[in-house]
Amino acid sequence: MNGVIFTETLRRSWKQIVWWGGSMAVLGFYIAVVVPTMDTLKQYADLMASMPTAVFKLLGVNDAAAIATPEGFISFSYFGYALLILAVWAVWAGMNITANEEDEGILDVVLALPVPRWRVVVEKFAAYALIAVGIALISLPGLVLGLNNSALKISTPKLVASTVNLIPGLLLMLALTAFVGAWARRKSTALAVTSTIIVASYFADFIGRNGSGLLNDVLRALSFFSYYDSMGVMTNGLNGGNVLLLLLLAALLVVGSVWCFQRRDVGV
Amino acid sequence: MTANTAVIQIEQLSKTYQRSRKEQVDALKGLNLTIQQGEIFGYLGPNGAGKTTTIRLLLDLIRPTTGRVLLFGEDARANSVALHRRIGFLPGELNLWKGYTGQQVLDYVGKLRGGVDAAYVRQLVDRLQFDPTLKVRTYSSGNKRKLGLVLALMNRADLLIMDEPTGGLDPLMQQIFNELMLDVKAEGRTVFLSSHVLSEVQAICDRVGILRGGELKAVESVSNLMHADFQWVTLHFREPVAANALAQVVGVSEVQALPDGLRLRLVGDFDPLLRALAPYYVTGMVTEEPTLEEVFLTYYSGTSGKEATR
Repeated sequence: MNGVIFTETLRRSWKQIVWWGGSMAVLGFYIAVVVPTMDTLKQYADLMASMPTAVFKLLGVNDAAAIATPEGFISFSYFGYALLILAVWAVWAGMNITANEEDEGILDVVLALPVPRWRVVVEKFAAYALIAVGIALISLPGLVLGLNNSALKISTPKLVASTVNLIPGLLLMLALTAFVGAWARRKSTALAVTSTIIVASYFADFIGRNGSGLLNDVLRALSFFSYYDSMGVMTNGLNGGNVLLLLLLAALLVVGSVWCFQRRDVGV
Repeated sequence: MTANTAVIQIEQLSKTYQRSRKEQVDALKGLNLTIQQGEIFGYLGPNGAGKTTTIRLLLDLIRPTTGRVLLFGEDARANSVALHRRIGFLPGELNLWKGYTGQQVLDYVGKLRGGVDAAYVRQLVDRLQFDPTLKVRTYSSGNKRKLGLVLALMNRADLLIMDEPTGGLDPLMQQIFNELMLDVKAEGRTVFLSSHVLSEVQAICDRVGILRGGELKAVESVSNLMHADFQWVTLHFREPVAANALAQVVGVSEVQALPDGLRLRLVGDFDPLLRALAPYYVTGMVTEEPTLEEVFLTYYSGTSGKEATR
């Protein structure tokens, strides 16, 4: 029956919107209120500037002076890490698309029913994609509330754009995990491969930003974190090209998941 | 499907698993089998014989290396979704969502089936004395089996595929299971079940096939097989008795000496043996059913089940 898996996945997992979104909201609120005055922000930026360049670049900062602005500070200290934190959820959710149930033998029962394999992948992905959107949106009020109680002033559209910018990256990681799970069969393999790709992508972006030249450019081009670009979005708004690229990659990975899952033995 | 179309038709079906780069395992080798409507077919064999592999191929959970499966005359792979509407399945090891209650599992699977007759499901739950209000993680193996049976039967499937269906069920429930299967048969539906329990197969199956090392060794009707039936009898005596003392008794063969008695193979009635035992003080007597493999080997060799593993 169309939509049953989607509805059931939502029914079973909607609380994650509250827990993860709520936790991110609390984190955003805390980060916003921790800087009571602009002087504190300047001191913080000076501290960063006193560090070796490689260290603050490791922390995701290209220009220490940028942190002295409210936009720079929030994009660095909240949005810079939000995607990495939510990667944990995305991998967990992606494993739930096929890998976990296959590993537990539950898929044998489901696929012996009149349920095409593609529907398991597509409906679960759609449900978790909706949850990802929910998590991102629920996290926004915490940040807005925190900024209302702090010396930092950032326009709400910029915060909305930065929050929405989390979604393509989240969907990509969700789709990546689903794809590896559909391809690898083994839950442990899927978890190891996906985690490695995400961590490698993060470091590729870091190394890429730490220098100039062809290799650095290639590394940044290969890392999806460079297309996330929290600082750029906070300053210039959403980059349509980057958003589309990440969404396209996510869609391709979902198609790849269906393709792999459709063709192979299940549960062996 | 025409009137003469087999419910299950397996043609030259093979499955090879790639265990590692160098190691391949032939789980099933050139299987041919036809099962007609209204049959209860017992699929038998030791662990690793290929029973579960066959079932997974029937359900399109795995894909054949060679050969094909037709269910109701349609390709089991190309038309799997449509065919699954007509199939009820009970896996050998039933794994479900541990945080769900039995009722939630029944509701979810019912929805995935596109809706089932709730009154019939209730009837099955009552008949199997199953409590659907508890969480799956709290169910004993017997209760999980009951839940699996309800799931397999809930859509009144034309074909039931069951892997070791009575494992974990108490004798009373096994009896109810047998009745359910006979009801299914009476309605003209078909059952394909794997088992290693002779009494279960004897009670409900029309035909049995035995699988060994991935090859179908034989297919025979249960009534024919049972003519080849025999028993192993172990006798314990107060004083030693020579093995040849019973060797000439009608129906007795393969007498082996034990530290405190004898073990022998008995075909036919007990009476000649009991009369022959009159001069001795018997402290104990144990009878054992032959394994299905022994019955098969006896049937096909025409003599003995001696080669079979005990």
